[in-house]
Amino acid sequence: MDFRKYLYGSALALVAASPALAQDTSVTIVLNEDLEVVEPCESSRSNIGRVLQQNIAETMVELNTANGSLMPRLAESWEAVDEDTWKFTLRDGVTFSDGSTLDAADVKHSYDRAISDQIICEIGAKFFGGMTLDFNVIDDLTFEVTSDPAQPILPLLMSTLTIVPSETPFEFMQMPVGTGAYVMTERNQGQSIVLERRDDYWGEAPEVTKATYLFRSDDAVRAAMVATGEADIVPQINEVDATNPATDFAYPNSETTYVRLDTSIAPLDDVRVRKALNMAVDREAFLGTLLPQDAVIATHMVPPSTLGVNPDLKPLAFDVDGARALLAEAKADGVPVDAEITMIARLGNFPNVTEISEALTQMWGDIGLSVNLRMTEVAEWVDLYSKPFAEDRGPSMVMAQHDNNRGDPVFSMYFKYACDGLQSGTCDEGLDQMIADATAATGEDRGPKWTEVFNKIHNDLVSDVFLFHMVGFSRVSERLDFTPTIATNSELQLSQIKFK
Amino acid sequence: MRSFLTKRAYASLISLLFLIVAVFFLSRLTGDPTNLYLPVDASLDSRERFRALHGLDDPLILQFGRYLADLAVLDFGDSIRRSQPALDVVLEAFKWTLALAAITMTIVTITAIVIGSLAAFRVGGLFDRTATFFSLIGASAPDFWIAIVAIVLFSVNLGWLPTSGTGTVWHWIMPIGVLFIRPFGLILQVVRGAMITALGSAYVKTARAKGVASRPIIFVHALRNAMLPVITVIGDQAAAILNGAVVVETIFGFPGVGKLMIDSILQRDFAVVLATIMVTAFAIFVMNLLIDLAYAVLDPRIRY
Repeated sequence: MDFRKYLYGSALALVAASPALAQDTSVTIVLNEDLEVVEPCESSRSNIGRVLQQNIAETMVELNTANGSLMPRLAESWEAVDEDTWKFTLRDGVTFSDGSTLDAADVKHSYDRAISDQIICEIGAKFFGGMTLDFNVIDDLTFEVTSDPAQPILPLLMSTLTIVPSETPFEFMQMPVGTGAYVMTERNQGQSIVLERRDDYWGEAPEVTKATYLFRSDDAVRAAMVATGEADIVPQINEVDATNPATDFAYPNSETTYVRLDTSIAPLDDVRVRKALNMAVDREAFLGTLLPQDAVIATHMVPPSTLGVNPDLKPLAFDVDGARALLAEAKADGVPVDAEITMIARLGNFPNVTEISEALTQMWGDIGLSVNLRMTEVAEWVDLYSKPFAEDRGPSMVMAQHDNNRGDPVFSMYFKYACDGLQSGTCDEGLDQMIADATAATGEDRGPKWTEVFNKIHNDLVSDVFLFHMVGFSRVSERLDFTPTIATNSELQLSQIKFK
Repeated sequence: MRSFLTKRAYASLISLLFLIVAVFFLSRLTGDPTNLYLPVDASLDSRERFRALHGLDDPLILQFGRYLADLAVLDFGDSIRRSQPALDVVLEAFKWTLALAAITMTIVTITAIVIGSLAAFRVGGLFDRTATFFSLIGASAPDFWIAIVAIVLFSVNLGWLPTSGTGTVWHWIMPIGVLFIRPFGLILQVVRGAMITALGSAYVKTARAKGVASRPIIFVHALRNAMLPVITVIGDQAAAILNGAVVVETIFGFPGVGKLMIDSILQRDFAVVLATIMVTAFAIFVMNLLIDLAYAVLDPRIRY
């Protein structure tokens, strides 16, 4: 009995000592893995972005993922000077957490770091490859950026560039400095990171005064931590743990699952075979079984909220007999439809990936194709997914997920469909030109040009087997007023968290 | 003794060198880490620059020579994943593993010896049968299942203990409890077996005939002679935890060396893989040395 009293007493003491519960304006957030580095130029990695992006390190421009519009952040305004050049005006009176004042030289330095050979930042590699930007500093708060080739979406690109002071060395930061409303005050590697609100932030003070990030790789444990009151937000839980409607939210996570077809090798070089592959898949059967009911059947590489998406595109109807007829027709024309096709998928890519891959393989087997499933670890999968492809490869398909929450298809289409695209399984000169035209288009022309690209890929080339726009699940404490959105997959702005 | 220590050190050093060569080349057979660190849509130019920055574009033998030269001045290289010296990353994780192993094995050793000895004293009695039953269950129970059930029971349903983490002494109870079960079951069985043999020996019968009390017979005369096989098993079990209690570290959020090792292998963070192996190998070398010394203390016939 004494032991029980001791335990209860200690449990109460533990609760009392817990900062998350003792202070109403503190929150505890549980992520599935520790941050390898706390470097703002790596913020495009989801686990790093959820801590650093806009909380510690801000961008010039902010993308409103709800409607695709751009909002001022550190840049007060921007305008196109000519086809190649954009002029930005910075907000006055913004200071970094180290006390220095934001000026145009900081922006130039942040870009130089992002593309530097000395550290190789993910933001530079992901968003600023294949172009050069020339910064012309006019005064402390004004500068022009000239791009080669022209970048009609340069302001959107600036929504990815996190700004650091010009004194930041060309090495990964151990204690990040930024203009955001929070500063990192504690880092215990593998365990926790603590952010505290700055008093000298340029904008409106957020309600959250302190955020503690914990790292737990087990899905069930993360979910349990909100249930026990140890944590307030878990951005990523497993669907099977999302059982409490009061705390658990499904949200579109901007990932699109598809099967990339290598159209350069027979029999996948025949459009009838590619159509048959699409018609053999009973997409509806996956929803509510192997995938969450909220997942959406995809007809594009990008989420439905992206510029230029054509809502009228429909997937080829599930039709086993029709698919068999197409294969028979192709075979009669000498297409080797009996050749073994390798289906490559990545272990642990998303929940039930193995079962879904097996089901797809079975569906393709049902129409008479010989498909061999090969599940690989991530490293091998990346090698097989990206060019240069092996010279002696046979016909193959790769199941992949693609994430584009930036609102514009330009971040996807060249890489996935151009002849020189790193993960492109197709090569069509006409499509290359259409992608180039859409990439260069501005204003109201841009959306329709991307629509033409989507139509060609879906209707004429049938380059992929599109599957689903995926959903993620979050758990949020009932004491918070916060609803996860498509942005939660890559960032978690503390300023958007309110208390009930 | 000094010559024994020197011989052991040389033998361990040779083993370690073989291990370094094997792990260095085998780990590189898994492929180039570049594609794991850069986004899938990074350009070929970015990939080339990444390889050049980390020396991955050099011939393998040159990379190995550079590694050995750095190692000679105790530079274990940098973690690509964390952009920190690999040794710092490993030592930071190893302190948690060491603490977990030390506390767990201390508790396991004391409880298994006491209960195993008492069980052996009346073989087939209620205490013996109960101890054997639970120790066999413990030795065969899957620890991931025990860990999850413990969290559901003690954290979610009863609210007695925190689910995970390292902040307070209460955070350590479940991880140690889960780690305790399997070695406890194994060591208890070894203690029991060794003690049954020792208690049946002539010197124990003589002591009993002379009227020596049960407690000194068990814990002074028999136990000392039964300890040699027990120490060997204790060493094995401690080594298993020192190599990383991956399940416990993963579920309870302990930033130990086991999860670090797995993550580093999957991420092809070669410097950390090698540093982890060397640090754990050194720890196990020291532990084996202590076991050898314990043999000499317990058995006067053993001299080095």
